[in-house]
Parts: sequence; structure tokens; C-alpha cells
Amino acid sequence: MKAVGARLPRYDGIAHVTGRSTYVDDVRIPGTLWVKALRSPHHNAAITKLDTSPAEAMKGVHAVVTAADVPLLVYGHLSALGIPGDEPLLASGEVRYEGQPIAVVAAESEELAMAAVEAIRIEYEERPALFDIRKAFDPGAPVVHEWGNWYPHFEGEMDRRQIRKGDIEWAFDKADTIVQGVYRPAAIEHVPLETQVCQVVPEADGRLTIYSCTQALYFSLGVVCAHLQLPLNRVKVVGGTVGGGFGGKVDTATETMCALLAQKSGRPVKWRWTREEEFLCSSTRAPWHMEIADAVTKDGWILGRKMLTLHDSGAYARFSPYGLTKHSFHHAGAYTIPNIHFDGYVVFTNRVPTTAMRGFGVTSVSFAVETHLSRIAVELGIDPFELRLKNANRIGDTTPNGVVLTDPSTVPTIQAIADAIGHELTAEYRTTTGDTRSGAFLPEHLVAQLGNPEDH
Amino acid sequence: MNLTVNGVAREVESGPLTPLLFVLRDELELTGAKAGCQQGGCGACTVLVDGEPRRSCLTPLIAVEGAAITTAEGLGTPEDLAPIQQAFTHHYAAQCGFCTSGLMLAAQAYIDHGGIDDRHAIQEALSGHVCRCTGYVKIVDAVAAAARGDEFDLTVTAGSSGMTTGGVR
Repeated sequence: MKAVGARLPRYDGIAHVTGRSTYVDDVRIPGTLWVKALRSPHHNAAITKLDTSPAEAMKGVHAVVTAADVPLLVYGHLSALGIPGDEPLLASGEVRYEGQPIAVVAAESEELAMAAVEAIRIEYEERPALFDIRKAFDPGAPVVHEWGNWYPHFEGEMDRRQIRKGDIEWAFDKADTIVQGVYRPAAIEHVPLETQVCQVVPEADGRLTIYSCTQALYFSLGVVCAHLQLPLNRVKVVGGTVGGGFGGKVDTATETMCALLAQKSGRPVKWRWTREEEFLCSSTRAPWHMEIADAVTKDGWILGRKMLTLHDSGAYARFSPYGLTKHSFHHAGAYTIPNIHFDGYVVFTNRVPTTAMRGFGVTSVSFAVETHLSRIAVELGIDPFELRLKNANRIGDTTPNGVVLTDPSTVPTIQAIADAIGHELTAEYRTTTGDTRSGAFLPEHLVAQLGNPEDH
Repeated sequence: MNLTVNGVAREVESGPLTPLLFVLRDELELTGAKAGCQQGGCGACTVLVDGEPRRSCLTPLIAVEGAAITTAEGLGTPEDLAPIQQAFTHHYAAQCGFCTSGLMLAAQAYIDHGGIDDRHAIQEALSGHVCRCTGYVKIVDAVAAAARGDEFDLTVTAGSSGMTTGGVR
């Protein structure tokens, strides 16, 4: 335990301050071709014509890759976990978000690659687009995904993440008041200082070496090999130094398309997104819509919670079902609510697909839950710290999905915050602990939810 | 075209309108300056041109003919770090490291121009630089320490000052 609490120098600190850390863009490979993409200018459209021959005919253009070149076109980021894929590597017949890649080219220079993209002939037939997750369920809403407007493949082929606990009817009958709130955090772009970038080298032995800024090296390896239908030992991914990711480099954004171009051209290729591409085409943190109704007593016990979450997945599923699952596990926050009725949907829109960002799925629900707790405190006219300490998780409490807590730190954390900002607590709340509930902190309605941590 | 880069006279062959950033990175293989936005917005490409911080992505080669250029590689070596590099290391002012070379060069110019341990003046001097890891408090700590002339023990890292960078609380 020598390292705990020690202020150790970071192992790459000197490399960073001397400009010697090798990021993907810094890897020097002679003979590298530049990659650029033809991207959809429309949110939702059928592709009625695609002719890449003018680009292929240009001197200095070594490869053009479209959907027709991809051995396995449709694969999902969660397919390795048995979840069906929905996203084509390159758009085929239709585009579902502005910025979706349709074709990629590899050429002698960046300027030539841009000119080659311009030379591709393409025509579209625009279709109505859907941007508001609340409207996705309307009978007249445009249907924007082959699975419908929301993800239908949760366990048991359920179309939502559903959690039921206790007796929600009892809680709402018994409540002195119902406190409701709607919370809608917006999309956020990660904006890493290093934009998406990769380099792919076709090696003499036929293998591919991929220099990638990925945060998820083994995911990238699996996704590339799936699309290319290669065994894992034919691809080597070199990662490690990432110029900021924050979750935005979990998706495999560039590697697969570059691998196909390297194969087709027989040359090393490099794709470094522009800042504009990063903003317009890279995945973002999702926008969320959360509705909470809590059944509360006038002295501040939360008897039950009904919650509806709509998670904007953008045009394809990617990791969103996983993000919503984490969200659902955390929807009671750090508090014990014995009666629960939660429904969460992963909703498709014509926006850029969304992904992880710092607390994937949980940041949104924490924002909603904490704001809601403060709202309850205001409506009841009680101290927001005491409301939280009363309902805070203690040893033996069970979470919405049935986990019995063995060592929750909620009570001392809230007390420390009160202390740090000079908020006076009454003796009862200053001295309560995170130990198993008893006395005033074990009201009748929480007795049945107490579990034994020893069993877990 | 002739330049002095990190104290060494260099003759370069890139075209006159080539951004200095790519002369450094692609022709001279000095990759400390980064292509963050290529629009002059982020500061990751900042180098010193005759001692002044400049956005190398927006600086055509012809505009700096004959000038002395300093990049992160020219500040000091791993064996002989400049004080500003020691300060960034000791104060844990680099997280992902992508903005670091630009920030250090802007800080070096601030100190060379007589800048002192004044958090607001340091913020002003660094205001054209984005750190998306949001390590600003430690970056300002590092620059303040270098401006004071602190000695740095590189076998440990300092704690944060805990101060905000001002106006953000």
C-alpha cells in the first residue's frame, strides 16, 4: 500500500513536457496516403445514385471504398455480447444522420483526397427527419430505424429497460404528496484536443498494424476484424497515448474504414479528422428526457418513485442500451426507495449516434435525482441535507435492481459536504451513520427491504 | 527558406504558404506542436517566433523567414529540463498532454517578458489555450511556481492549490 496517498510522479510526465510523447498523428510512416470521407449532408435520405468512378479515375487516388467493399457491412458495437448489429460501416442505400460516412478515399495528399470526395457523384431523396425523442412515439412520427423508433432487444426481447420493486400503488396511496419533475440535459460534444485519428499500415506478411487513438483497444480490434472478416491475429492495434477522450474515443470511428483502404491500396493510410468533422460527425454525450414522480411523506420519506427515461441514441444503437442499463441501476441515486416503477427507452433519432461520456448513463440520472431531491426539500419546506441523510443508503439497504449494499459511503459523504460548506446539521443528523438502519432511520416501510450483506 | 529552430540553423524546402506547423511536424519531424483545430482556436500548435507565442497553424512559412523558432523540444531535454518543464511535471499540469507544449511555450513567453506570480495575469497570458482535461488550476499553479523561481523535486508531485482559476466558482 505504499502508493496509496503518495504523490508519485507520472510515468509519462517528462515525455509530455518535452514534446516527445508519440500520439497517433506523430507516428511517421513513409508513403502514407491521406483519407477523407464523403459524408451525408442530409439528416435522413435515400441514396438514389452513387458513382465513385470519377474519383477512382483521378491521378493520385489509390483507393475508394464504399459499402460494397465491406465484407461484413452491418455490425454492432455490442455484437460481441450477442446484441444484434444495426449500423452499416458505410451508408448503403440510405443515410440516417448528417455527417454519416458514405465513401472514403485514400489519395497522395490531403487536398487531393478532398478533391476526390468532391468528384464522387451522388444523389439523394430527402425524407422527413426526427430529432425530438418525445415525438418518436407519436402515431404520425417518421420511422427512422429498421427496428422502429426505439430499441427492441433488451433481455427477453423487451422494448424497454424495466425495473419493478415493491408495491408502487401502495406508495402512491400512502403518500402525503407527489413531487414531480422533468429533466432534460442536452447533448455534449467531448471536444478532445486531439481529433479522431488513425494510421493503418499493411505489413509485408499481410497483417495490418493500426495506430489508433482509441480508448477501447480490444473493442476496436474486435470491430475491425468483424467488419473485415479477419481472425484477430491478422490485426495488431497500437494504442496507449490518447490526446483526450472522455468517452468519445470508445466508438471505433476511423480504424475499420482505414483498414479497408490500406488493404485495397496496399499503402499506409492516415485519417485525421478536422475540428469541423469532430464537432459535426463524432458521437456525443446523449440528450436525455427524464420524468420523475415521487411519493413522499410530509416528513421527507420517499416511499416510491415512478420514472420514465428516454435516451437519445441518435441514428444507431452503438453502446446506448448499455448506457441506459447503467442509468436504470442508478435511478434511485444514493438513496433507498423501496417501491419502484422504472421504464427506460433507447430512442432512435436522425442525430449523430451518441456514446459514453464521463459516467456513461449515470451523469444524467444523477443530475435529475439530485435536482429532484432539492425540489422535494423545497416543496416540503425541510432541510435538503436532512432529506438526503434520512433517505441515504445504509448497510443492508437494497438498490432498485436488488443489490444489497455492503459499504455505502453516502451518509459520511453528505455530512462531509455539510461540514465543508458550513451547513449546520441537527444532532440527530450530525451523528447518524451509514450502519444498518435502526431507530428513527428504520421506519416501518423500510423494514421489508433490509437485506443481509453477508448473503452478497 | 532559412529558419533557426531550437537554436539550430535549418534550411527548409516546404512551400512559402505551408503552415509553420506542418513545416515543423512533417519536414523537420518535430511533433511537439499539435494540430488541434487548424483554425487558430485551441493553442495546441503554439510555438515561439523570436520569443513571441504564435499559432503555427495559421503562420505561413514565408512570414517567419529568418526567424528563431522555439518548440517544446527546444525548451529542454529529459536530462536537462527547463524550469517551466519541471514546473509542469511537478505540479501535474499535463493530463493527456496534447495542449501541454503550447501552454508551456505561452508560459515561457510570459515569464521571459517579466511575468510574475499573479494568477489573473497568468490566466490572461494563457487565455488563448484550451485544456479539455480541464486541468487549469494545476497549469496556473505550475506557471506561478516557475515565475516565482521555485525549485522542483521531480520525484514527487505537488498537491493542487485548490484555488479556482477565477470567475468560475
